[in-house]
Amino acid sequence: MSFQGSQPVAIVATAQTQWRATWSQAQHIDLIAAAVQNALKGSGLDIRDVDFVIDSGSDVLDGRSISNCGFLGAMGAHHKEESRVEDDGLWAAQYGVAKIASGSAQVGLIIAYSKPSESDVSQYYRTMADPFIQRPVGLDEESACGLQAQRYLHAHQLTPADLAEVTVAAWRKASSNPTVELDQVPSVSQVLASPMVASPLTQAMMARPVDGAVVMVLANASVARRVTTAPVWVKGIGAAMDSSVFAMRDAQFDVCRQAAQRAYARAGLSAAQMDLAETSATSAAAELMTLEALGLAEPGKAIDLFRQGRDAGINASGGALPANPIMATGLVRLSEAAQALWGQRTSSAKNSRRAVVHASSGIAAQSHCVFVVEVERP
Amino acid sequence: MSRVAIIGVGQTHHQRRRADVNVPGLVREAAQRALADAKLEMSDIDSVVVASGPVLFAAVNQPEKWVVDALGARGKPVVRITSGGGTGFAGALGGYYQVAGGQADRVLVVAYDKLSEGALQASISSLYDPFWGREFAVGIMGFSAAYWRARMDKLGHTEEAAARVVVKNLSNARMNPYAHVRKTVTVDDVLKSAPLAWPIKLLDVPPISDGAAAVVLTREDLAAQHTNTPAFIRGIAYCAEADNAPQRSMLMSEPLAHAARVVYRASGITNPRRQFDVVELQEPYSCFELSYYESLGLCPPGGAAELIASGATEMGGDIPVNPSGGCQGANPIGAAGLIRLVEAAMQVTGRAGEHQVPGARLAAAQTGGGWANLRGLAVVSAD
Amino acid sequence: MHLAPDTVPLDLPPLQSTIALPYRLTPGKATGTFLAELAARRIVGTRCLRCQRVEVPAQDVCSCGHAELEFVAVSTVGTLQSYTRMPDKTLGLIRLDGCDCDLLHRLHGDHEWAVGQRLQACWSDSPQAQALDLLGFEPAGQGAMAGLAPAAFEASREPLDSMATELKLHYQHAAGPYYGRLFDEMRTSGRIMGIRCSHCQSTLLPPRELCDVCYERTGTWADVADTGVLQAFSIIHLKFIGQRRDPPYVYAEVMLDGASTKIIHMLDGVDIEAAPARLKPGMRVKAVWKAERKGSLDDISHFELIDPI
Repeated sequence: MSFQGSQPVAIVATAQTQWRATWSQAQHIDLIAAAVQNALKGSGLDIRDVDFVIDSGSDVLDGRSISNCGFLGAMGAHHKEESRVEDDGLWAAQYGVAKIASGSAQVGLIIAYSKPSESDVSQYYRTMADPFIQRPVGLDEESACGLQAQRYLHAHQLTPADLAEVTVAAWRKASSNPTVELDQVPSVSQVLASPMVASPLTQAMMARPVDGAVVMVLANASVARRVTTAPVWVKGIGAAMDSSVFAMRDAQFDVCRQAAQRAYARAGLSAAQMDLAETSATSAAAELMTLEALGLAEPGKAIDLFRQGRDAGINASGGALPANPIMATGLVRLSEAAQALWGQRTSSAKNSRRAVVHASSGIAAQSHCVFVVEVERP
Repeated sequence: MSRVAIIGVGQTHHQRRRADVNVPGLVREAAQRALADAKLEMSDIDSVVVASGPVLFAAVNQPEKWVVDALGARGKPVVRITSGGGTGFAGALGGYYQVAGGQADRVLVVAYDKLSEGALQASISSLYDPFWGREFAVGIMGFSAAYWRARMDKLGHTEEAAARVVVKNLSNARMNPYAHVRKTVTVDDVLKSAPLAWPIKLLDVPPISDGAAAVVLTREDLAAQHTNTPAFIRGIAYCAEADNAPQRSMLMSEPLAHAARVVYRASGITNPRRQFDVVELQEPYSCFELSYYESLGLCPPGGAAELIASGATEMGGDIPVNPSGGCQGANPIGAAGLIRLVEAAMQVTGRAGEHQVPGARLAAAQTGGGWANLRGLAVVSAD
Repeated sequence: MHLAPDTVPLDLPPLQSTIALPYRLTPGKATGTFLAELAARRIVGTRCLRCQRVEVPAQDVCSCGHAELEFVAVSTVGTLQSYTRMPDKTLGLIRLDGCDCDLLHRLHGDHEWAVGQRLQACWSDSPQAQALDLLGFEPAGQGAMAGLAPAAFEASREPLDSMATELKLHYQHAAGPYYGRLFDEMRTSGRIMGIRCSHCQSTLLPPRELCDVCYERTGTWADVADTGVLQAFSIIHLKFIGQRRDPPYVYAEVMLDGASTKIIHMLDGVDIEAAPARLKPGMRVKAVWKAERKGSLDDISHFELIDPI
C-alpha cells in the first residue's frame, strides 16, 4: 500500500446517548448500537459506507477481557477493519484521522462508551498505580487530584471557593445540555459543604462518572463534501504523556501544554483564535490547570475567566465535571464541539468557527490529547 | 507515493520467567534493541505505541502509562492499542498509520507480555459474556479445541497433522536464539502427550513466556538515513468478525480471508504459495497453523494435512512457515503478533541468522486474537 | 434506544460478577532493592551517572532516559512540599534532603501539616519487605539530622525478587431489555427465546437490537427449542482457577433448533474415555433443566445426547 501526503479529514456526523449516573436498563452493546445508529441517521451514510471502526474501552471498567471483541456486532465492525485504543476515545479519533489521512480509507466510525456504574471506579484508577510502591502507599485518583489541587491553590493563592465557582459554572451549563441527565445544580456553599474527599477537594468538586456512548463519523474530503455543507475539519492534533511516578510529574500540566502546542502548530493557529474550548478533567482544579496549559489563560489566571464572565465559550456543554464517562470523555468533548460549531447547541456562541478539544487519562491526568478543529461554512 | 518502512527491529530473549526485570524493564530492553538497530535514540522518536495483552494478564491497568519512564518517552505521545492475541500486530498497524497519515515521522512500536506474573487461563476466561457462557469458559483453549474438532471431520485436520506442526516448529525454534523452548519432539510424543482440552494436548500448546519485541517505523524516503536494509510493508490489514454472528464459519477464518484479499491485492500477490519466500504466522495452538495454510491460500481448503506432510512448509521446503519456531518456541502473547512481523522483516533483509531462509525477499506475517475473530496480515518485502 | 416490539424493559437485578486473580509480580532491581532495604530503615534512591540526578525511590531508568545508575542511601529527613488529607489517611510529597525529586508517601500520626514543614521518617516495627515498612513521615524532632547528603550504598540484604498480590474486581452488570426478556422467559416458562433479524431472518441468541451481519434492527421474538445440534466440543482435562466444575468434562457448543447462533455449555452422560472416538459434531442433544429456575443460562444444568453413544 502506498500513501500520498496527508489528506484532510472532517467530522461529518456525531451522536451521543444521554449521559446518566446509571443506565440500569441497558448493556454496553445497547448503548453502542443506539449511538451508532443515531450518528449515521441523517448523515447520508450507512453502515456499508463505513470502512473501519476504531473503538475505545477498558477491560477493567467493562469487567471483561478483550471486551471490544464481544461488542463488535453492535459497533458495526463485522467484516470491517477494527482496532481498539485502550485509552480515552479522543485517542481513538486520532487513530481514525490517521487512517483517513493516509488515503487508505474514506469513512470511519470512532466509538467510545463507558458504564462506570457497573464497576468500582476508584479501583479502575488505583490499579493504574504501580503495584509495588505507589499503590500500597495509597496513590489513587482522589489522593493524586488532592495533592495536585493543594499545590495549585498554594502556588497561586487561590481558595476552595474558587474551585466551587468553577464547579457550579460547569453544572449550570450542563443543566442546559439535553444529553446530560442531572437532578440539580449545586450552589457554591453546597459544593464546599459536600464531604471532603482529599483536601482541598470535596466530593462535588470531583467529576461525576456517568454511563453512555458516543460516536463520531469521520470522512475524507470527497465524501465530506457530498454529505455535509459544513464539514468540521481536524486541523491539528497533539498528544503527550508525563511520568508514572506522581512525585516526578510537572505541577502545571506541562505535557498538556506540549500537546496543545503541537496541535496549534499543526493547525497553524493559536490559542487566541479558538472560539470554543471543550476540556476533560477529573477535578475542578484540573479544569483550571488544563485551561492554562491550553494557553487560554496565564498560569493561575484561569479563574478570572469565570470571575469576569468570560467563560461562555469554555465547556459550554458543561464539560467533564458533571458528566465524566471516563473512557469516552474526550470524544464527547469532540462531539460537543462539532455540534456547537454546527449551531446545534443553543448555548453556543453563533459564528463560532474554531474549537480546541482536550482529553486526559491516567491517574490525575498523566496523559493528554488535544485536537484543533474548524468548521467550514457554505 | 510512499510506503512505510521497518528500519529497526528488536526482541528480548524470551523466557519462561524473567526474574531480573519488571514489566517496564522488559519493555525497555526490546525498545533499546530496536532503536540501536535503527541507529536512533529515544529522543529521535516522535511517537510511541505500546501493545500488550489483556490488562488482567498482569496487575496494572493502562500499563503503557507505567512503562513510559523506562522507555525514556516522557513528553512524547504514547498510546496503547490492544486486540487480544493480535495485539502486537495491531500495535504495528497503529504505528503504520501514524506514519502513513503524516502524524509522525518515526514511530516506535513495542509489544510485550509478562505471562509468568498471572493466571493465564483464568484471566482469559473473563473474555466470555458474563451473562452467557462465562461459567463454562475454558480460556481460549476450550473453543479453539472445539473448532479444531469440527474441522477434523470436514477438512481432515488430524491430530497427526497438527503434531507435525509441533515437530516442525520446535525443530525450527532450536535455531532461533530468541526462542526459549529447546526440545526435540516426535509426532508420537505429541500424540501421546496429556490431553488438556482434547484434541488439544500438552505438546500442542505453546509455552507461557515473558518477552517483548519492538520495531521502528518511518516513511520510505527517510529510511535510507537509518539503515541499508529496510523492510517495506507492501500491504497490511486487520479484520474483525462479530463473535456470535449468525453464519459464523468454524471451518475458515473469514476475517483472515478478508484481510488477505485486501493485502494480496495491494501487494500484487496472486499465488501466495509460489510468491512468498517465507511465512510467519501466529499459532496459539498447533491446529491453527493448519487452518491458516488454507485461509492464506497456501493450499486449498482441506489441503493442510497434505501440505504439512509434504514437508513443503519445513525449512528447506518451498514455502517455509515459522522458521522462527512460531509460538511453539516462545509465546509472550501480547508480543507474538509483532514478533511475526519482526521475524518477517529479519527474513527479507537477510538478518535471521541461523534460521534464515536463503534468499528470502517476500514474506507474509499473520496474527490473530480475541474469540478467534480478530485477524491480521501483512506482506513485507525487501524492495 | 430502540426496543423490540412486544419487549418490556424488566427490572431485573444486575448480575453480580467478581473477577479474582492471583499474581506473582517481579519488582525489578531498583524497586526490589528499595523495598528490601526499608527493613534496615534505609531509604534507597539512585544517582544517575550521566546527569547526576538523585531520584527516590530508586529507579531503573533516570528521568533523563539513561540507565547507568548507582544506588544511594538518602536522608530520612526532608521538607513537606504538598499534602492532602483524606478520611482514612494523609498523603504528602516530601523533598528528602539531597534529592532532586519529591517522594510520595504517607504523613503519619495526628498532626497539623504545613508546606515547608520539616519531617522525618517513621518505621514499622515488623517490616515485611513492603512499601509501608516505611509507615510515613512525621514532624521532625529536634535531633533529626538535616542536610545529609546521599551516601554510597552497601546492600544489607537480597533485593526482593517477587511480590504476591491479588486483584479482586466486582461488577454489577445490567441485563438490558433483550437479555431481560430472555431470562424472564427462561425463569417463568422454561422457554428460550431468540430474536429475528428483520432482514436476513436469522434468529439470534442471545437476543440483541441489531443483527451483527446485516446491521439491521431485529424484529420479532422467536421460540428456540431446547434441543439442537452439537456443533463442536472439546474434552476438558485442564484445571484452572475459577473453573466451575472439576475436569474431566465436555465443553459443548450447541446450535439449538430455531437459532442461528451458538450457545456454550457442557455435555454430560458421555464416557470420557470413549468420547474422542465416539462423540461427533452433528449429534443431536437436548437440554436438561434444573428443577428451580432463576433466569440465567445456568437454569440449564447440562446437555445430553438424544441418542446415547
